[in-house]
Amino acid sequence: MNDLGLLLFLLALGLLWSRTMHHTVWFLAGEGVLLSLMVWTSEPVTAVTVVVGLATLVVKGGLIPGLIHRILRTWPAAFRRDHPLPLWAYGITVLVVLAVSHVIHLLGPTGVIQHALLFFYALASIHVGFVMIVARRHLLSQLASLVAIENGLVVLAVSLAGALPTFIELGLLIDLGIAATLMVWMSHRIHQAMHTTDVITLRRLRG
Amino acid sequence: MSSSWALGGPAVPLVVAAVLRRHSTQRWYAVIAIWTSLVWLAVGGLTWHPLIQGRTWAILLDVTNLVAATSAWDSVGWLREHPRMAPHRYYGWWSLFWAALLGIALAHNLALAWLAVEFSTLTSGALIIEVGDRHALEAAWKYILIASVGLIVGLIGLVFLYASLQYQTLGWATLNYQNLHGQFPHVAPIIRTLATVFIVAGFGTKAGLVPFHTWLPDAHSEAPSPVSGMLSGVLLGLSLFTVVRFVEAVPTARGVFLSGPHLLTIFGTLSVVIGALALLVQRDIKRLFAYSSIEQVGIMAVAAGLGTKAALSLALLQFVLHAVIKSSVFYGAGHLSVMYQTQRLKKITGLLARHPAGAVWWAVGILALAGLPPLGLAYSEWLIFRQLWQHHAYLVIGLVAASLTLTFAALTYHLMRNLWRDMDALAPAAAASEVL
Repeated sequence: MNDLGLLLFLLALGLLWSRTMHHTVWFLAGEGVLLSLMVWTSEPVTAVTVVVGLATLVVKGGLIPGLIHRILRTWPAAFRRDHPLPLWAYGITVLVVLAVSHVIHLLGPTGVIQHALLFFYALASIHVGFVMIVARRHLLSQLASLVAIENGLVVLAVSLAGALPTFIELGLLIDLGIAATLMVWMSHRIHQAMHTTDVITLRRLRG
Repeated sequence: MSSSWALGGPAVPLVVAAVLRRHSTQRWYAVIAIWTSLVWLAVGGLTWHPLIQGRTWAILLDVTNLVAATSAWDSVGWLREHPRMAPHRYYGWWSLFWAALLGIALAHNLALAWLAVEFSTLTSGALIIEVGDRHALEAAWKYILIASVGLIVGLIGLVFLYASLQYQTLGWATLNYQNLHGQFPHVAPIIRTLATVFIVAGFGTKAGLVPFHTWLPDAHSEAPSPVSGMLSGVLLGLSLFTVVRFVEAVPTARGVFLSGPHLLTIFGTLSVVIGALALLVQRDIKRLFAYSSIEQVGIMAVAAGLGTKAALSLALLQFVLHAVIKSSVFYGAGHLSVMYQTQRLKKITGLLARHPAGAVWWAVGILALAGLPPLGLAYSEWLIFRQLWQHHAYLVIGLVAASLTLTFAALTYHLMRNLWRDMDALAPAAAASEVL
């Protein structure tokens, strides 16, 4: 399970680092596959885990990357790349990842952490997602960051509690599926209306 | 809570929305409005007993249905004024939004409340997207992104809490408020603090508490006006009361640093101050009311932060009065912006001459919002001050009192400009006549 956590963390770093939106699609799909594997391996296989794992694969490994890929295909090449990551983002990323060790040190005595290494990868992935949402400028990069943070949260739940209750897991998947669909639809309409995919240009509403 | 059946109310508008796809006639809009009103009356009748007992869930439920009913009636006129809006899509999302609000009001479990609040973000976000212009798209993007990130922070708090109590093997019922009440003292202190901070900040984002409020003025000003009424009048309050229910369920000693009541007092006071200051510089009629909502939610949070039964009842009273007044004012703002073809405050002038009856209603609404006695909010605000005084919260009293004075000044200034001719335009004319 720790290996899956490490791979997910590396994919989160890949998402942060990559400027090409097509790579983002593959990184997100990879995270979706890893999460479904994690669902199937973290608990004894039952009908419920099979359903949750399949739902994860469909929503996070298929639906969300698929929607992004579909919308990217319709856009000219200039809109399929993000701006370079600002230098400060690299420094902040290193700092927040290092800060996770301190969090583990603080929470250690409470006994709440079941898998310390997995907890590290999960919290580090969430932090990387937060850095990405602030540093990245492409509309779809922001959507990818949101999905990456949510993926990190699922791993965090595994590292702390083994798994979330099925009801919540399925609720989260439905919620994320709807949110991603709406945001892809919005990206398309913003691109149509403003001929941009840069969030910096969304500055009309101020004050 | 045995009133989960109330969630069935939005099913009919959802079906009608599907009918509207093929047969779009305005008669169906009235059918939805009549149905929503009947639901309000029926639910109110069936829940009268807990309602007169002052049970929070019953009050939240009935206020939600009341504002949904007024929103449905206002939608009839609003859709007529905005023929480009697809009615079947509008009512489809509107029904789901109403269902989400009812879900929040009825949730007896923190995880359930989280899902309902997030669902309300998506459905109301979709309604803003449906408006379709550049401003609306920008507002919807910020709204969904910021609210979702905020709610994820809240979810991290829930995960920590669930992990600490999972030895009970209760599944998602672990996060029932009743269970939390009994088990919270068994959670490690650092996890208690972490979970509280994350949950208050997460749901506080949806409640529009400062400093998590940045999405609110954009979303509330760009949403269709009947939806702005529901967002401002109901959703903010329901999100705040989700925090309050959690804080109430996990009692901590008064004055504990970063405890629930402490955080509510800090964020509440900040919201009142920032909301009031922002009112002075607003140029858009709906943004003005959006900032007023931040200030009003701040007052509710300050009251809830006191943690006593009386203060919590006053926060609830403030919620009820604010829901009725603010939703009405938002509906009015929507029609005014159509009448004047603008949302710019400086162009919405001379209402008294143009529409005297409307001007009177408008004046009553704004003055009620400004806290002019004997209108409702003045009463609840005064009682909240009394509670603050009894708890020796003098700094909070000073800040809130100064802010409410500013609010009164700002709202009455804008009201006078609305009612009479543009005073800026009159000033040079008067000066010129004096010279002559």
